[in-house]
Order: sequence, then C-alpha cells, then structure tokens
Amino acid sequence: MSSVRAAVEPGVGGLFVRAGVFAYIGMLVALPLAALLSTGLAQGLTALWQAVSAPAAVAALTLTLATAGVMALINAVTGTATAWVLVRYDFPGRGLLSGLVDLPFAIPTLVTGVMLVLLFGPQSPIGGWLARQGFQVAFATPSIVLALLFITVPFVVRAVEPVLMEQDPAEEEAARTLGASTFTVLRRVLLPPLAPAIISGTIRSYARALGEFGSIVVVSGNIPYKTLTAPIYVFGEIESGRAEVAAAVSVVLLTVALALTFGARAIERLAGVARA
Amino acid sequence: MRPTRHPAIHLLAALGLALTAALVACGGSEPAPGTGAVPAKAAPAKTRTLVLGAYTTPREAYGKAILPAFQRHWKEKTGEEVQFQESYLGSGAQARAIIGGFEADVAALSLEADVDTIAKAGLITHDWKAGAHQGMVSRSIVVLAVRPGNPKGVHDWDDLRKPGLAVLTPNVRTSGGAMWNVCAMYGAALRGQTAAPKGDPAQAEKLLTDVLRNVSVMDKGARESIVNFEKGVGDVAITYENEVLVGRKAGQPYEYVIPRSTILIENPVAVVDRYAEKHGVRDLADAFVAFVRTPEAQRAFAEYGLRSIDEGVAKEVAGQFPAVKDLFTIRDLGGWPEVQKTLFAPGAAYDRVSASIGPKP
Repeated sequence: MSSVRAAVEPGVGGLFVRAGVFAYIGMLVALPLAALLSTGLAQGLTALWQAVSAPAAVAALTLTLATAGVMALINAVTGTATAWVLVRYDFPGRGLLSGLVDLPFAIPTLVTGVMLVLLFGPQSPIGGWLARQGFQVAFATPSIVLALLFITVPFVVRAVEPVLMEQDPAEEEAARTLGASTFTVLRRVLLPPLAPAIISGTIRSYARALGEFGSIVVVSGNIPYKTLTAPIYVFGEIESGRAEVAAAVSVVLLTVALALTFGARAIERLAGVARA
Repeated sequence: MRPTRHPAIHLLAALGLALTAALVACGGSEPAPGTGAVPAKAAPAKTRTLVLGAYTTPREAYGKAILPAFQRHWKEKTGEEVQFQESYLGSGAQARAIIGGFEADVAALSLEADVDTIAKAGLITHDWKAGAHQGMVSRSIVVLAVRPGNPKGVHDWDDLRKPGLAVLTPNVRTSGGAMWNVCAMYGAALRGQTAAPKGDPAQAEKLLTDVLRNVSVMDKGARESIVNFEKGVGDVAITYENEVLVGRKAGQPYEYVIPRSTILIENPVAVVDRYAEKHGVRDLADAFVAFVRTPEAQRAFAEYGLRSIDEGVAKEVAGQFPAVKDLFTIRDLGGWPEVQKTLFAPGAAYDRVSASIGPKP
C-alpha cells in the first residue's frame, strides 16, 4: 500500500487534484458541520448546556447511547462469527450470505422500520405470540435495538473479513493439534489479531447507530422518557421551531460520533490495518 | 477473490440492461402523442401555474375534486388554463419550507399559528384573518376512534384514564396537529365537562397526565397515528373526525365516539403575497382562495370528511356530521398564543405532564 502511495509524483497536476478533493470534502462534510456547531453554540455554552441537560433531552440521549451500546455488543459477537464463517468455509449459498450482509446498506432505513413492524407488530403472528408471552417488541425498546442491529450488520463483518483472510488457518489447526480447546484457540490464536478490527468495526457501527432516524421513528413508540431517542427528540424540537435546542442536542451526538470515528481510526492505525 | 460470484453479477447486469432497454423502449413511444396534443389544446389561451403549499389531510379533496373544479371554473370565466403545482407536507414543515424559499402562492395549513409564522417572516403582507370566516376554510372535531363494538367501553375523555388502556396520539413536538388533541381534552376538563371541576387547571392537568400515561405510541404525525391504529395497534386513537370518516369510507372497520365536549378544529388558507406577486398570479391566487370557500368546494371537503364553514353546505351534510353537545374553539381557551404559553411552551403544562409520567423518582 505504501509503495503505491510513494509512486505518485508530487506534480502541479497532483497538487491541483489534492486541493480540489480537499475543497470538495470540505464543502460537503466540514462546512455543514461548522454550520451546526455555530448554531448550537450561537447562544453560548450555558444555553447549550441548558438545552442538553433538560430532563427530556437527557432521557433521549441516554436511551440512544444505551440502545446503541447493546446493539454494538451483540454486533461485535455476531459480526465476527459471520466474518469467520464467510472466510473459513466454502459452502453453497456463501455468495448469497455475503450479499445479504450488504443488503441493509441498500435498504432505506424507513423501509427497515416498516418491515420490522410488519414482522413484530401486534397483528403479526410473531408479534402476537410474543405479546402473549408478555414480551413487547414493536413500539418498545427491543425494537429499537433490533432496528439498529439490522442497519449496522455490515460494519463488523466487513471490518473483520480482510484481516481474517490474511490470517493463516494453519495457526488454528496447529493450536488444535497441540490440544488446545475451542475456547483457547479462540482466545489465544484467533481473536488477538482480530481485536483491532472487531473494535473499530463495532465503534463505527455504534457511531452510525447514534443518528438513526428513519427506522426508529416507525418501530419505536416515541414516548418521551420511555422510547423517544435523541434523533427523534431533535426532529421534534425542529418541528416545534426550536432550532437552537435541536442543534445543541445534535452537537452532543456529533461530538460522540466524531470522537468514536477518530478513535476507530487510531485503533486501526496502531494495529497497522489503516485504510488511508 | 470469489470467482463464483462473477457469473451471477454478469447475469444481473445483463438483466438490468435488458430491463432498462425495455423501459426506454416503452417510455419512448409515450411522449410523442402527448407532446403533440399539448400545444393543440393550450394554443388559444396562455397558461399560468399556481403553486399550492398544503398540509397532508386535504390532499385528496384538493387533488381529486377542488383543483380540477377550479380549473374548469377559471377556464369558463376567463378562458385561461390554470396548472397546479401541489406540495403536501406536515403543516409545520410546510410553513418552514415556504419561509425557507418554497415559493407557494397559496398556503393551506392545519394551524393558524403556522400561517402566522409565514406572516411574521414578511411573506404574507395582508391581514389574512380579516376576510370571511377569519381566514379559515375547513373544520373538523377531535374524536376517539375505537375498535368495532367498542369493547373497552370508551365513551368520553374520562374513560381514557382507565388503567391498562392503550391510547394512540401523535407527538405534539413533531405534529402541530396533535396539539388539537391535547387542547380538546384539556379544554373539556376546564369547561367542567369531565369528572374534573370547572375551571380547575390542576385537575385538567391531572386528566392529561392520566391519559398520556396510557399512550403506547406517539407517532410522528396524525396520519401515521391512525395508520398504526388501522394496523391493530392500541385500543383507542385520539384523532380527527375527517381521518375516521375517510378511513371508514375506505372500508376500515373501526368505530368512533364523539366526546361530550370537544374542540372545533379550524384550518386556515391564505395567499402568500410576496410569492404570488413575484409570479404574477395575484388575481389567480385570490380567486382560488375565494373559490375554496364556495359551496362547490365546501361540498368536496365534506365528501372527504371535513365539516363545512359554509352554513348552507353544513345543513346539507348535517346527517354525516353529528352535533356535539359542548363544542368549543381555541378562542374559548384564550387563542393560540395563550394556549402555546400555558400548555405547550417549554416547562408549561404539557412538559410537566410528560416529565411526571417519565422517570420514576
């Protein structure tokens, strides 16, 4: 990778392209971020703190951080397992499985919400059965976690897959031949080199989940203090004409997401799997 | 890396190409007769376009009945063709879009306050409430939709306090229209039409607390709320009479109950002066706003479940719209600015109620 990078001659044309790309990403990503920050901070830090520390805002942020956390933990395990199956086994339907993993990125999240309500709503066989067992999924917290799990399926899988491919299966086999139990193989041989990829994939999925709106607004009950997540709280404040409160809560979500994204990059770089 | 996947991709690509080709072929044949016909029809008179920015409820009434009727009416009167550009959004979102630069010549919204916001932004320069019917064009009332046979025995606001009842009402933060629902029950309580004594805000707030505690889903908007109810969610939906009437017409099996005391919903319409003048359609916009208040247009609204502001039409369709024992308006609660202050401002009654049913101390 580094040899490819060094091969590019630093010429005038290259400089031009670099400036262009910088301007493009700057306009597209950095400029809106700056606009949000300036609105969020327009009334000063005290006002921002007041907006963010309002009980309803705190409850919404807590719910978002917590549901995303549960999702991330599940994702770390299931994502790694999925990647392992995809890389280590050749079986009929593997291409289909791999395609299914990418599908959530292609489906509008609003549609995800509709699908989940159709599956788990009170009128559906599954939702009805669960309700009779006293377990409500649709319009309750479990549906929020489910929706987040759905939309973030590819993150951990696609982060772990390339690392796993470079790993020699012979190591696993050697450990087994030497009498290591499955758990020991997992803990001592398989996971250590994967850990950075698992962690960065999980972090990225968490950051992505923080802002999820389309599916949540459909599957959740959206009741303040109970099932109202931060993005929907933000939407409500915009709708009620309180853009500065919306911006303040958005700034919190943004800060967490930014910190996590840079954290994920740092982990990747330390582990030597940096993408750029 | 995975050669097995390549044939599938090629197959998909080929299929995609074939489909595109087929679509292009089909589409290609259509414009020819269409483009040929348009100039022939429009040749004698010029055509002007009127941009309508509306909220979502009257979409069918406008699209299927009122706009075509106005086109006929205007053509007969002036010989000129009118084209419409329609946009339907939530009332608050539409108001913001118009302020943000969506150049609607006419704004037909759910809440007076939303039209006021446009006026405050300087886009409506005339006193839009000065005309007939204080700027209003349609009416409805807040009702309770219940399951067939009313199995939970819901007849009035107080019945919504029953423990274990699942109630649907949209979120007032995301749906301006949801404020009508809160105003309806709060107002009924203040007027002494519920178990709460007359003129006791604390008891009215208590009713609000008990009912909101039973709310199982707060949807983004009124439409989403009734759609969820149709899907089998909840025992009762606090909603508008027109939503229920339209739903029942479409074959939905639910019934509805009119509380003894409920609020009269009034929806405004106004010409957005700045944009109408900029587009040179002032006369057209004025004529349209006058037209929607004529009996012909009012009958169309009634067809789609909305009560009429025209007394004659209201009498004609009275059978469709049962009388309410104690019908009050937002003015009885002091008007929107006052209600905003006492009920919906940050820290006001609604906020207090949601906070009190939220975190368990």
